[in-house]
Amino acid sequence: MGLSRREFLKRTAALTAASYVGMNLPISMEGEAQATDADSWHPGTCRLCGSGCRLELGVKDGRAVALRGISKSRTNFGYLCMKGMLFYKLMGDNHPDRLKKPLYRARKDQPFKEISWDEALDIAAREFANAVKKHGNDSVAYYGSGQALTEETYIFQKVMRGGLRTNNVEGNPRLCMASAVGGYITSFGADEPIGSYDNFERASCFFIIGSNTAEAHPVLFRRIMRRKMDHRDTVKVINADPRISPTSRIADLDLVFEPGTDLALLNAMAHVIVNEKLYDQDFINNYSTFRKGKDKKQVSFEEYRKFLEDYTPEKVAQLCRGNMTAEKIRTAARWFATSEGTMSIWTMGINQRIRGVWANNLIHNLHILTGQLCRPGADSFSLTGQPNACGGVREGGGLCHILPAHRLVKKDKLRHQVEKLWGIPEGRIPPKPGYHTVAMFEAVNQGKIKAIWINCTSPAQSLPNCDKYKKGMARDDVFMVVSDIFPTRTTELANLILPTAFIFEKTGVYGCTERRSQLTRKAVNAPGEAKPEVWMVREWALRLSRELNDPVIKKCVEPFMGKEPDYELPRSIWMEYTQKLTKGRDNDLSGATYEVLAKLPDGVQWPAPTEAFALKGGTDIKFVRGIDPLADKHAQNEMPYQFYGPAHPDRKLWIWLRPQKGPAEMPDEEYPFYLSTGRIIDHWHTSSMTGRVMELVRANPYAFVEINPKDAEKLGIKPNDMVEVVSRRGRNVLPAKVYVGPCEGMVFVYWHDMAEDRMINRVTKDAFDPGSKEPEFKICACRIKKVSGPKPLKPFIVEMS
Amino acid sequence: MPIGGFVVNVHPDFIETALDALKAMKGLEIHGSDDKGNVIVVLESDTSEQMEQQVKSIMAVEQVLSVGLTYFNAEDEVEKIEAGILRPGRSFGKKQFQ
Repeated sequence: MGLSRREFLKRTAALTAASYVGMNLPISMEGEAQATDADSWHPGTCRLCGSGCRLELGVKDGRAVALRGISKSRTNFGYLCMKGMLFYKLMGDNHPDRLKKPLYRARKDQPFKEISWDEALDIAAREFANAVKKHGNDSVAYYGSGQALTEETYIFQKVMRGGLRTNNVEGNPRLCMASAVGGYITSFGADEPIGSYDNFERASCFFIIGSNTAEAHPVLFRRIMRRKMDHRDTVKVINADPRISPTSRIADLDLVFEPGTDLALLNAMAHVIVNEKLYDQDFINNYSTFRKGKDKKQVSFEEYRKFLEDYTPEKVAQLCRGNMTAEKIRTAARWFATSEGTMSIWTMGINQRIRGVWANNLIHNLHILTGQLCRPGADSFSLTGQPNACGGVREGGGLCHILPAHRLVKKDKLRHQVEKLWGIPEGRIPPKPGYHTVAMFEAVNQGKIKAIWINCTSPAQSLPNCDKYKKGMARDDVFMVVSDIFPTRTTELANLILPTAFIFEKTGVYGCTERRSQLTRKAVNAPGEAKPEVWMVREWALRLSRELNDPVIKKCVEPFMGKEPDYELPRSIWMEYTQKLTKGRDNDLSGATYEVLAKLPDGVQWPAPTEAFALKGGTDIKFVRGIDPLADKHAQNEMPYQFYGPAHPDRKLWIWLRPQKGPAEMPDEEYPFYLSTGRIIDHWHTSSMTGRVMELVRANPYAFVEINPKDAEKLGIKPNDMVEVVSRRGRNVLPAKVYVGPCEGMVFVYWHDMAEDRMINRVTKDAFDPGSKEPEFKICACRIKKVSGPKPLKPFIVEMS
Repeated sequence: MPIGGFVVNVHPDFIETALDALKAMKGLEIHGSDDKGNVIVVLESDTSEQMEQQVKSIMAVEQVLSVGLTYFNAEDEVEKIEAGILRPGRSFGKKQFQ
């Protein structure tokens, strides 16, 4: 007798879960072959964080109806989190708020009108062309996203640089990843982590700093948790953060420090390692040099030792406050140095600092000193926030100073290489990098940028001190194109809104945190007239070429002409990027064709210079001979590690002398509290996607301000009271959560809320790291005050129709 | 009516306590567990919103360390959306444009 449909689905659910942990259940599906839960299953990547979780989308009658993890995927082993569970609702016709038609208004005080794609692309081309003719090539700009597919970022930047002759190409990874990029390049000579996620199962010590992994990367956190619980006596977890978070649940040692004292803490750990001789002398001798200052001057170990004298654990514990003691710093340093494999993990807490690059350097220092690199379980591993910040923006040329495949704009040789590979005249790409993100929106404010295309991101909400930059975006002499799937705070300021296809509605590659590229093919139709960006850019470039009477612009998209947009077009772009641009570079993806990617459950880690090598999954540890083919190719001696990174001609890892540097704005009498911001498990970024899924909205309908109970008592603030958070830049009014999370003297606000009163980036500061140009979202000064008792609030989402 | 398959990880020292807490929950079936603290859980609910609340309740159990989704089917909900009975994330906030 057949099972009922519900019973069939429940058994499917139970057996799927049991198969993940090798459990045999006393139920079976025998004789149920005729029942199905989906017509077809389509492999792809979750796009709601940077972990790169692989899943299959179940499609029935052309609609997305089910999800299951891919257990063979080495990113997530089939596990998903709640964000993944709910994102099917954003696809196809499953959500009524999706943008479905191009919308246009000539002036920003007018209502939008629906127009055709032909009209929309004509307008976009005309406005950009007019700006170029009247105000020069640098009066136009592209601002992209770590959520865009690699093919999208690549074709946008190609048309901007090679076609419109400007390096005004930026992306929101500047706001989250740029300091990690700077750190990897200056410490290791090459961007992106050396190792892989599989160190989670091999590490004996985890040093988590400035990352609430449990909430921001729950599926990866599960792996760390499993490692700890399976080896409770031998695996140590150190969690260093100004705020106690759910990540602390598995910590053996919590280091709570005042915001902005992180550099001193890291130097104090180095002090212990050096003074107690816990370093690896051979590793230091063979593979490293010591450096300091802007001119990267080489110094001696002795000078480094003297530099560290200022950072005794006693002195630094006093500076760090929180729960810090000298003994805790010593314990952390000893565990770090002596474990069989130590893995450091960090995200925005380290990157979003006025000296984020230095903070990254100081973590890398600890690994270089102790030789905790290039072997199982040992790695200095920055986690990414967005699904394609690494693959698209860092590797594909999505920032103002970098061309595809880690080439610097300012290097003539590398620029000319790209021009040659694109078949465009030498000198076509200008030698000067464009505006970095904060400078770009400052230029919008000043009216220097006359036309900007913003793709798949919402700077009106996500920029620090966002009110200041919204003024520029609202200018009527700034023509703004915004392509996205939903209305956002930024579409409100647009002239032209272009509806885009979502993941699984188009084809392309995401490259996640661990140098891994993964393909997602189209599985369902986009709603209405929404289109893939690659099609938009190609059609726009052809029009630009006509408007400006410039055949080179057409030349930029010529290899992609006549290709259908759902597969052949992105494939041809990927082929050009991987076969021409990455070939011979450190992120060589020549072996990772669409066909190879489609054969693997979890894609390919670069370098992967041949198809045969890519089919084995690529390189899981860079720089190690016998594992990384480029380490063998570039080997100059018999040493097992070959640090061939393009930025360090001495082929060494650099240990940096970087002093403590506090935040750009310190609390004072007028603004006595530190304000820090972050992400919550259910919401992601500006919540234009997750904010629309009712389950997630109801769980955390609005942002709140977390206040330490001791501070709350002093100020007479009770849970759910409405509290004003004011800085020199702006004001929010939010309900209070009184909670032993933030340390005393600090408040914390999640940044997903779109309501004006609760949009915390109106309050944050737009000071940025002079090296990476990444803003210091994590720290500014504020004051708080109770304004009323609890008040009912409504969630707020921007709507169009 | 959505159906989800989960591996719930509970602290290995407190498996029985955790199982007792989970068993008391409505709409939750336990299909098996092992001594590492892996518990196979199937949730069914009237709406995925309700399932989200169930997941929150599981996470609130003191001995639970993580909740991992492995399978999710929401065909019924998609049909409700198509029929206009359910409108996800709709109509909060004022209308911005005409």
